[in-house]
Amino acid sequence: MSELIAKLLEAVEMGKIDQKSPYPPQLRGMDGAHELTQQALEANIDPQRILEDALIPAMGNVGKKFSENKIFVPQMLMSAKAMGASMVQLKPFFASGAIKSKGTFIIGTVKGDLHDIGKNLVAMMVEGGGWTIVDLGVDVGSDRFVEALKNNPGAVVGLSALLTTTMVNMGEIVASVKAIVPDTKVLVGGAPVNADFCRSIGADFYAPDPQQAVEYLNKLAS
Amino acid sequence: MKQHTIRLHPLGKELIVNDQTPLIDLLHEYGVEFPCGGKGSCGKCQIQLLQGVIDVSERHRQKLEVLRLPADRRLACMSRCTSSITLQVEQFDHLILADESSFEFVAESGVGIAVDLGTTTIVTQLVDLKTAAILAVETLLNPQVKFGADLISRIQAGLDGHAAEMTQLIRSTIGRMIQSMLKSSQQLPGKVVLVGNTLMQRIFSDLDLTPLSCYPFQTDDIGMQNFSASELDWEVPESTLVQFYPSIGSFVGSDILAGIAATGLHQKEEFTALIDLGTNGEIVVGNRDRIICASTAAGPAFEGANLSMGMRAVTGAISSIRLADNKMVSSVIGNTEPKGICGSALIDAVALLQKQELIGMFGEISSGADSLQIEGSIHLTQKDIYEFLLAKAAIAAGITILARNLSIDPSAISKVYIAGGFGNYIHTEHLLSTGMVETTEDKLHKMGNTALIGAKMFLFGKGELAAEILTKTSHVNLEGFPDFQDIYISKMMLG
Repeated sequence: MSELIAKLLEAVEMGKIDQKSPYPPQLRGMDGAHELTQQALEANIDPQRILEDALIPAMGNVGKKFSENKIFVPQMLMSAKAMGASMVQLKPFFASGAIKSKGTFIIGTVKGDLHDIGKNLVAMMVEGGGWTIVDLGVDVGSDRFVEALKNNPGAVVGLSALLTTTMVNMGEIVASVKAIVPDTKVLVGGAPVNADFCRSIGADFYAPDPQQAVEYLNKLAS
Repeated sequence: MKQHTIRLHPLGKELIVNDQTPLIDLLHEYGVEFPCGGKGSCGKCQIQLLQGVIDVSERHRQKLEVLRLPADRRLACMSRCTSSITLQVEQFDHLILADESSFEFVAESGVGIAVDLGTTTIVTQLVDLKTAAILAVETLLNPQVKFGADLISRIQAGLDGHAAEMTQLIRSTIGRMIQSMLKSSQQLPGKVVLVGNTLMQRIFSDLDLTPLSCYPFQTDDIGMQNFSASELDWEVPESTLVQFYPSIGSFVGSDILAGIAATGLHQKEEFTALIDLGTNGEIVVGNRDRIICASTAAGPAFEGANLSMGMRAVTGAISSIRLADNKMVSSVIGNTEPKGICGSALIDAVALLQKQELIGMFGEISSGADSLQIEGSIHLTQKDIYEFLLAKAAIAAGITILARNLSIDPSAISKVYIAGGFGNYIHTEHLLSTGMVETTEDKLHKMGNTALIGAKMFLFGKGELAAEILTKTSHVNLEGFPDFQDIYISKMMLG
């Protein structure tokens, strides 16, 4: 049984989505995250264990390797897709309460900015960390963040911006979100953002890469 | 007011300046680079203080510490002149691509001036309108580079209150270039044609930059901008027709309009692509019926801005690399010791590292090391290689998406022209082997400075050529394409 968990962990870490997926070449023809999750559920392995012992550590390893420049965006995306192939089968257990989420993370790229990819990678990594994601997309203003927060009480908010000219819009969003629920934690990220800027707009944490966002959130959840 | 002397060694130049003058205002002319626009974040504007004192603020001291610079180094962007000093500033020369290619024209009388106003460089040419011969040429760095290398930092500078200064600076610089070309000319120009991207057009025209600062990055259509010599304070006759040609859409401006004219793709039945590897990588695909174009954020890496040892194509930059007996052999601009690597050599480096299997299909360094030696002390770090992958993926994804937009297969594009600042120094086989341009060797052509060629073509006639192209051409927002993310990320792989 634990062999299945170990195989699933490897499949997700290496980005092996399913058996027919050609990537990565060294796992060609072998079962991917899709089949291994199916087998684990058929073998009555606790879904919570699938999440905690396979998916979360796999994505944690991916995040660390990305932080250390050992892998790049395409490999991270393949791992996220493999995780997705597993997660989709775990969804019913989240709904039934058999798996507990660590919390809800609302994320969006701020108003005036259309950059999607960095935000998506963070969302995938946080989901792989055991959180529920509410992805508001791109060009998102205060009103939509506030609305999402009202629908998801206690959620943590993440803001992304890729341009110096749009990151200034983060300040207003932080203020609006904290005006509604003062103790809401807001984390910010994106190429032009830094810790000084984060402090200056009253946000709580600057995440230089997806992994540090996950680690910050996990600290909040623990 | 108190004045000080700045001596530049070994240039032997002496500058007399007012007290408190920021060094950034003086040194950009001498080749000191300010890629981050003076925010103190990149450390590329470091100078060596040989004599005298530069006051160091607390913030400046912290930056020097973070960058671990020797004690005699200062960041020019954070320094002001408060006493007489001597600085080490290397002799520098920039390679800016002018043009002498021939094109079809209908002879007119008199002379005209074509201006290619680039984000990084400016080229002006004095053209005999009877023969299309080039009578004089001037090239210069865009003085706005002190506000940052890329478009967004210029826009930011504009929003921060430097818009009027940038306008004044660019007008007077081009005015001086024109004056210098006319020194030896018997005739005065009847026309001046300026081309440049939308931001360059708006700065030159003294228009609001805010619309370009955020989504939807769309400005009102201002069309052709006409100026009089007196409002520009240029020493040309008041009757001279000075025109900044219209933009296509978003950031894509008349430099691309001119590029389309230069390739003649608007007249051909088969599809043609134009890739302008300038500071902002622009891509055009089309034929005589329909032309679409897009801009990508591919530029900064090719201008060296985000690379640990990156620099523009100036003295000391490795401009190309080839393989001899399995060793990398590089050419350095000015035949000096290499100080860094510029865009064309970045492409060579990655292609050759890939060929030697020192990096894998994801650009990962096979040995697991943090960096690879190119020559002497010049290295590419793992992060530099990833920066290249982002830039090359932006170009490759752009072509794919434009082709899909036209409902054609990319293989149906019969010619791909490579233009732009360092376009001529590129080894086309490396564009192919890295997968930056997905075509075949026989279809790929280097075309030099197409913006300048087109600007010269616009000197003839009354604007009909530009108008014809403009009606056929539209701008496409790449990020808005449904599969953008998957296409872009898949193009990050090598080969």
